[in-house]
Amino acid sequence: MTLLPKFTNEPLLDFSEAHNRHSVTTALRELESRIAAGSLVARPILRGEEIRGKTTFSRTDPSDHTTVIGTVEFADIATAEEAIKTCLGGLDGWRRTPVHERANLLRKVGGIMKERKGFLTALIIREVGKPWREADADVAEAIDFCLYYATEMERLGAPRLTEEVMGEENYYFYQPRGVTVVISPWNFPLAITCGMAVAALVAGNTVILKPAEQSSLIAHEFARIALDAGIPGDALAFLPGQGEDVGRYLVQHPSTSMIAFTGSRAVGLEILNSASKVPTGQRMIKKVVAELGGKNAIIVDQDADFDDAIRGVLASAFGYAGQKCSACSRLIVVGDAYEPFLERLASAVSDLIIGAATDPSSFMGPVVDQEAAERIAKTIASASNLSLLAKGTLSSTLQERGNFIAPTIFRDVPENHPIWKDEIFGPVLACAHANDFDHALRMATASEYALAGGVFSRHPNNLQKAKEEFRVGNLYINRSITGALVGRQPFGGFLMSGIGSKAGGPDYLLQFMEPRVVTENTMRRGFTPDIG
Amino acid sequence: MTLDTTLNARIIDFGRGVFTDLDTNEPSPLNLRYLNTLLMRWSMSRPDFKVDLFRLVDVLPTLKTDDAIAEHVREYLIPSANRIHPSLGWLIGLCKSPLLVPLTAFLVRNGVQQMASMFIAGHSPQAALPVLRRLRKKRYAFTVDLLGEFCVCEPEALEYQQRYLDAIDTFGETIPSWQEGTPIVPGHAGEKSPVCISVKLSALYSQTNVLNFERSVAILSERLTEVARRAKKYGALLYVDAEDSGNNSMIYESFKRVFGSPEFIDFPYPGIVIQAYAKNSEIRVQEMLAFAQQRGAPIAIRLVKGAYWDYERVISAQNHWDFPLWTKKESSDAHYEHLSRILLQNHEVCLPAFGSHNIRSLSHACCYAEHLGLTERDFEIQVLYGMAEPIAQAFMERGHLVRMYIPLGELLPGMGYFVRRLLENTSNESFLKHTFFDTEEVSNLMREPRMHTQDFQALTIAPKPDDLVPIQLQNVQPSF
Repeated sequence: MTLLPKFTNEPLLDFSEAHNRHSVTTALRELESRIAAGSLVARPILRGEEIRGKTTFSRTDPSDHTTVIGTVEFADIATAEEAIKTCLGGLDGWRRTPVHERANLLRKVGGIMKERKGFLTALIIREVGKPWREADADVAEAIDFCLYYATEMERLGAPRLTEEVMGEENYYFYQPRGVTVVISPWNFPLAITCGMAVAALVAGNTVILKPAEQSSLIAHEFARIALDAGIPGDALAFLPGQGEDVGRYLVQHPSTSMIAFTGSRAVGLEILNSASKVPTGQRMIKKVVAELGGKNAIIVDQDADFDDAIRGVLASAFGYAGQKCSACSRLIVVGDAYEPFLERLASAVSDLIIGAATDPSSFMGPVVDQEAAERIAKTIASASNLSLLAKGTLSSTLQERGNFIAPTIFRDVPENHPIWKDEIFGPVLACAHANDFDHALRMATASEYALAGGVFSRHPNNLQKAKEEFRVGNLYINRSITGALVGRQPFGGFLMSGIGSKAGGPDYLLQFMEPRVVTENTMRRGFTPDIG
Repeated sequence: MTLDTTLNARIIDFGRGVFTDLDTNEPSPLNLRYLNTLLMRWSMSRPDFKVDLFRLVDVLPTLKTDDAIAEHVREYLIPSANRIHPSLGWLIGLCKSPLLVPLTAFLVRNGVQQMASMFIAGHSPQAALPVLRRLRKKRYAFTVDLLGEFCVCEPEALEYQQRYLDAIDTFGETIPSWQEGTPIVPGHAGEKSPVCISVKLSALYSQTNVLNFERSVAILSERLTEVARRAKKYGALLYVDAEDSGNNSMIYESFKRVFGSPEFIDFPYPGIVIQAYAKNSEIRVQEMLAFAQQRGAPIAIRLVKGAYWDYERVISAQNHWDFPLWTKKESSDAHYEHLSRILLQNHEVCLPAFGSHNIRSLSHACCYAEHLGLTERDFEIQVLYGMAEPIAQAFMERGHLVRMYIPLGELLPGMGYFVRRLLENTSNESFLKHTFFDTEEVSNLMREPRMHTQDFQALTIAPKPDDLVPIQLQNVQPSF
């Protein structure tokens, strides 16, 4: 077995150390005073300058409707057009910047984020309602992406000879694709935003960053940090805005070479569709990288360690209220284990602590906004024909205060039911019984998605079978199925889960570049340096 | 940190005496223990086989049918058996035959159950009474621990607490009236009652978590209070066990909260555990001695090396965290002696209990106590039930109070404990392995342990005492 180049991840905070708990508490307190002062504003950034947006949007705390976290000023179409022009203009200078300089700028971005870790963590907790541990992991992952892609680009950046041949030199190397539109999601508001943007940048592309509306403040912080670190103002533009207008305009623009998107399947397919249309003036075929959803299953085998499996399922299904592409939304229990496992799972879920994301004791916080809460509540209500296994306990104060949805588990869900098939992106888990392990594998892989999956088993043959037949991008055995680490567990799936290769893996940067080959005949009149 | 040479010579001399006694206590070949010894000795010589064997043992209690057992036996053992000799693999493969499935299942199930019963004294307090009586008769004290599954919900946590309350009732109502209940070492504080329990605290609340610090400590304290109240009713003794470093700060905090309260000021020698393998163990010792002083009544401190080394190693390596424990086993041994001396010097506020199977460590404690002019009433020795009984016997016969730590419970929740004991008996670092299975020189085993250089450097950097400060959150969040 050969190893990929070694990469050391930014450590997650060890919260058993009191000073680490204090650091987040202090950061939350400091952020609170900035929120109270109304000083958090995310404006579009063009050529390194903040510019006024035309319309504004107040972002409220998902844990508490009464608090406005900050104001987002949306860019309009004219600003978007200007951003494209700027980034097109900046392309030549940026692509000529030596690879090691671009790589070092990424390291600097990572370094600043590390310095501001407390603030960034606190902002993630407040803006998108992510609990402590996961907010910290979000920042660590963003730092990881910077350092990992910096080193990756240094590996890929140097031209290579294809082979030694006399009288000829054949060089293989990469060039950037051009203006890249990055459309980032709110569920990993810093990690994925940063990951897609710095990957495109280090490869030599210029980037227009359009974040999800719900996480514009944290994305703005990222853009500020990147520009402060020295990424040129004509290589990175920040455009908060609505997907339907600014986003669509950027995707369809003839000067856009590439779109990197992470988000819903519907939007992803729409982007692919409109990117395939060639308006007048467009010179290239657009490249789209789209990381979409999942309907990830965990199989619990008859001989599984229930203690581990219960904890693994709870963490995977309800961590960040199920709002992760890798979240577990289907549970398949094999044979006789079904009833006893479900019984323990049901009582376990009813004791989980649900509360404000700011409260460190919350196992689960709110969902991202009111719209999401309403959509998930409607989905749950529409499944009234299913039998409900258990529901988490939610106080009425919480429900009134924020976008809280109790974790919900359905049992005996038929394979053709929407709850079994469709991604809900909320704390909803569908359970079903499988006769044997093979049956469980068939059920697990019958999905349209193929992102993540998990198996709890201590049966050597079944584990071997799972490694071979459980065809998903990331399979986890005897552990939770979320929390992939950059470098260690490159992340991404296939089928309807997206096109593109794994983020945080050795093939990721290649998508942002085009390979070229230069062949030179070095023999002149029978004279060649090889022999000379 | 080197010892006075005369004292060290005395320790070595003392230890040699113990080693001599061990030889006369060899188990007989007719003994179950002897067969298990053979099996362990054999598995130790085959490290890859050992992994498969222990994994099989681990999964066994969840297997409901004979077929499942036979299938797992084949899948776990044939590959490594084939590496030893193809005929051995073939032999294990035979259990596929429908005729042999029930027999295989029977043999394996019974074998494991018997092996586990070496370390686990019974499935319930009632069932353990004869074992406890036999031990008292052989002049051993005990402390009973109830094995529990990981609690995932409140009913499970409360049921676990109830099992403790019931166990205290069962023991409290029977044992003191036994004639074996009379003190083994008269006047010894550890014999104020023959009933003693050890509580695995974190499992008394299902949402125990450092990020849920305040509530965890509050609820654990409340539930420990009920257990302590029941113990108090019978005058029974109680230890709160140490766990992994994630849970320990909450455990120490809860212990202080309960036994520092006026209600338990007269509770005799409430016990806490310090793990010498932890880099911050000296700070913990100081903290606990200060607590005893403040309480105005002594506590018991069980000094162990610690049982979660591998687990903590994996967790900190995976997370790139600083390793909270000494990197070398010998450093733990050296630190153990250092802390032993501190505890003995402070015998007025604490009753030291030396929990170890290492003859050097125990000899050091006994000789240092003697050096300070203390008697056998001023400390005790604790060993795990089923491990190293000859050692326990040698110390008991020298007049020391030896307490056995006895887990009770069903096999399934006990499997984690059982596999840890198997590993401990067979690991390359294990003193027991060196003592009973290897031909290591006694002088080598009795050598004074030295802090490894790398660990010594860590020692000189004062550890952050910050994790003793509970977190204050009142002003941070929206108030709901």
